[in-house]
Amino acid sequence: MIQCFLLALITASSATVSGVSESAVDSISEYDEVLNEVVVTGVRAPKLLKNTPVQTTLITSKMIERSDATDIEDLLQEEIPGVEFSYAMNQQVHFNFGGFGGQGVLFLVDGERLVGETLDDVDFGRINMSGVDRIEIVRGASSALYGSNAVGGVINVITKIPEKKWHVGADIRYGRHNNLRYGLNLQYRNKIVANTLSGNYSRIDTYDVHSAADPATRVITQIYGNRTLNVRDQLVVTPFEGLKFTARAGYYLREIPRIVDTPERYRDYSGGLKGQWDISDKHKLEVSYAFDQYDKSNYMKISGMDVRNYSNVQNSIRAIYNYTDSRGDILTLGGDYRYDYLNNTKIDNGAKHEANADVFAQYDWIIDDKWELVGAARYDYFSKGDVSRVTPKISARYRPSYNTNVRMAYGMGFRTPTLKEQYYNFDMAGIWIVEGTPSLKPEMSHNFNGSFDWWYRNYSFTVTAYYNHIIDRIATGLPYSKVEDPMQLYLKYVNLAPYDIMGGEATVEGRWSNGLSAKLSYALTHEVFAKDKDGNPTNNQYIPARKHSLTARLDWNKTFAKDFDMTIGVNGRYLSGVTNIEYKDYYDLSAGTIDVRYPAYTLWKLSGSLMFRNRYKLTLALDNLFNYKPKYYYLNAPLTDGANFMVGLSVNID
Amino acid sequence: MTTALRSYTTWLHILLATLALQSCTGILSGVYDEPSEDEVITVAGQLYIDASDWGKWHYIDLQQVADSTAANPDFNPSGLWTSFDIPVKEITDDNTRDGIYTYWYDVFGSGLSVNEFRSFYPTAPQPQPQKWSIAVHRNNVRTNGAAVAATDFRNFDEIPQDKSYINSLVFQKDTWSESEVWCEQSRMLLGLIGNQGIMINKVLSSWLKVDLPPIPPAFTMYDTVFIIRLDDGSYGALQLVNYQSQTGTKCCLTINYRYPI
Repeated sequence: MIQCFLLALITASSATVSGVSESAVDSISEYDEVLNEVVVTGVRAPKLLKNTPVQTTLITSKMIERSDATDIEDLLQEEIPGVEFSYAMNQQVHFNFGGFGGQGVLFLVDGERLVGETLDDVDFGRINMSGVDRIEIVRGASSALYGSNAVGGVINVITKIPEKKWHVGADIRYGRHNNLRYGLNLQYRNKIVANTLSGNYSRIDTYDVHSAADPATRVITQIYGNRTLNVRDQLVVTPFEGLKFTARAGYYLREIPRIVDTPERYRDYSGGLKGQWDISDKHKLEVSYAFDQYDKSNYMKISGMDVRNYSNVQNSIRAIYNYTDSRGDILTLGGDYRYDYLNNTKIDNGAKHEANADVFAQYDWIIDDKWELVGAARYDYFSKGDVSRVTPKISARYRPSYNTNVRMAYGMGFRTPTLKEQYYNFDMAGIWIVEGTPSLKPEMSHNFNGSFDWWYRNYSFTVTAYYNHIIDRIATGLPYSKVEDPMQLYLKYVNLAPYDIMGGEATVEGRWSNGLSAKLSYALTHEVFAKDKDGNPTNNQYIPARKHSLTARLDWNKTFAKDFDMTIGVNGRYLSGVTNIEYKDYYDLSAGTIDVRYPAYTLWKLSGSLMFRNRYKLTLALDNLFNYKPKYYYLNAPLTDGANFMVGLSVNID
Repeated sequence: MTTALRSYTTWLHILLATLALQSCTGILSGVYDEPSEDEVITVAGQLYIDASDWGKWHYIDLQQVADSTAANPDFNPSGLWTSFDIPVKEITDDNTRDGIYTYWYDVFGSGLSVNEFRSFYPTAPQPQPQKWSIAVHRNNVRTNGAAVAATDFRNFDEIPQDKSYINSLVFQKDTWSESEVWCEQSRMLLGLIGNQGIMINKVLSSWLKVDLPPIPPAFTMYDTVFIIRLDDGSYGALQLVNYQSQTGTKCCLTINYRYPI
């Protein structure tokens, strides 16, 4: 299939040679459109993508639209090689990005953390795609700017701000297993006020999947359906130029009927206030407050009781000051205070809380036309365990010619043990009791990365490489029995021995004036298995990253008959097989380990849309184009039971 | 600048006021119900028992329940359950079939229906009270020489006064089981579960079904009304109406009963 795609890509580019020569300037400007997008995540200040000293991968609103992805999981897997969403125990979604899981990659929405976790991952369903403007991905340790949990990188989802006086958007989509999605987006703006109200409701049935006989390890037999409601409102008030206030509020509810008469409910209430004051051209100040509460409950239909068993509440305040001098150098000073409250029936003595305060400073130094250097340092203090850390980061961009960027960076990452990792006490159906360890050390990492960007006319080429050395990684250790309770297995959170993750990516992209665009990306991830401090293989509760992964995309956009705009695209991904070391007998570790092989797979999607008068859009998509069905539904198998034809309709009125 | 500063100060006050008002431990707790394990709410004609313990059978005498509630309508019959541990200590007895049968179940694959016998060791027989009608252990039910029939009724109000319908019911007595009464879970991760070898009533036990996978197990409750014919020839009606405690613990049984009918 990959060969077919490459052939198509070459054919497409050959077919457009004449088009390139006729409108080379247009072609360059097409690519410049992306390079001139403003990104904010890498240095916490607005920078053009081509100028930012911190290597940033950008998924623009156009890319989101043409990807036809209905959720963040689909989008990231389609656009970024090395990203994999699989299942962890109890069919909880687990994220892996080049060897880093949910605790190692920080997910932000408009710069704010998402609270709550299940098996170390945030609830990805909270990210309402209908309100997303763009996504910025910064790989490598970003703890110097974002603090704990940014050991492997930051994924920042930026939401839309109204551009037109008013806008009404509505969409509906239907797919296999009664997968229904409704979306609504209402926007209004005038000189002073801009408001966006977006809502999304989706549902899908539970369905059975069937594996062949004799699986090597556990398989999934049923994919649970869900119902999800996501509503968000954002109000921006600009009383006069230079002063802007933003208020937001959100509500999220997901219901999963793992047990039909006792569906699990996941709720989130979020809100925030932000003030941005451009004191002058040189001085900018931003102050913000954020509230986020993530609850889990079981709704027992028989008794009619909705009983909460988990609540994570976070209140945080932040101040950031930017000073830009006449040369364009930027000094950034900031600080946060965060109060974290966790009430979980599965932790010792119920509720726990923790406060975190930090200050950080960064200087972005434009040395000359070719060199730009950014240095940052952050000091964090955590009340629980009286832990403090200083994390530095330095990045450099070198531009030897107008169309080439070379970036290098070093960052120190750290992650403090979560309240769960310190105080958990959970009897997992008698299988084992998972116990927290209050004396855990913070996880530390040293990250080195480099990248090379080159773009010319219709083409761009990017290659990146990274190396991470991780110290004291926090994970569950090997099962053991206690002398006083010899029949019961226990799993304790421990610090692991140092280990390494390294890898790289290569992406080639082409855009042509005749509406064709193509992108091919490859990622290599080499994850050296972590061992415990006694040198034993660990009891990894997540399947490791796949060594090779590849994403490919080919799109064609054509406007005809003035009012009609048509887009046809095909995209796919390939993930190589992966071997995990698993113990033969968790009750007798001396029996040794076995290598469990999880097979490779490839999935492809064909989608097309027809837009009339820039208002009415009909979308047809065939996901899993080649009707792939996993032989075994292991935890990291794609959750498909065959080709999925989807039809969608949207209306957008301005 | 002064106006801007004033606006900013006002905004900051709003921010701090909001912050002060905002509970650090969360909002909207009223959305949820507050469970209480201590306050088990039952109505007349209802029994409650926490049968979640893998290692216990819980016994009740329906005649004693009937006598107690007849004498005092406010009497809570749930206090009449008596519990006995399942014997798990190995004994030397080559001639008994009482004991622990370890089976392997395909809990990570095809499910409980695919299983294999692995080992047996004898134990003492299950202790029990002198007088009892039914006993429950998680999703298992046994009777004291009784027989049970499933009906099409879903509510006690549907049970006719005329008992002639009983003649058309198919009653089943307890039968031997060595792979359903799970009592030992120390090697469950390998799919190995120790079962008590014991007589159970499979008709009445069908009111609560357990499936593995998924993990954790899925429970399915059936609201069938069962007619029980006790060994003295009297009849009663039983129906499982809930299998969870207020906090969601599975196998905490709320049973509607009518005895005698």
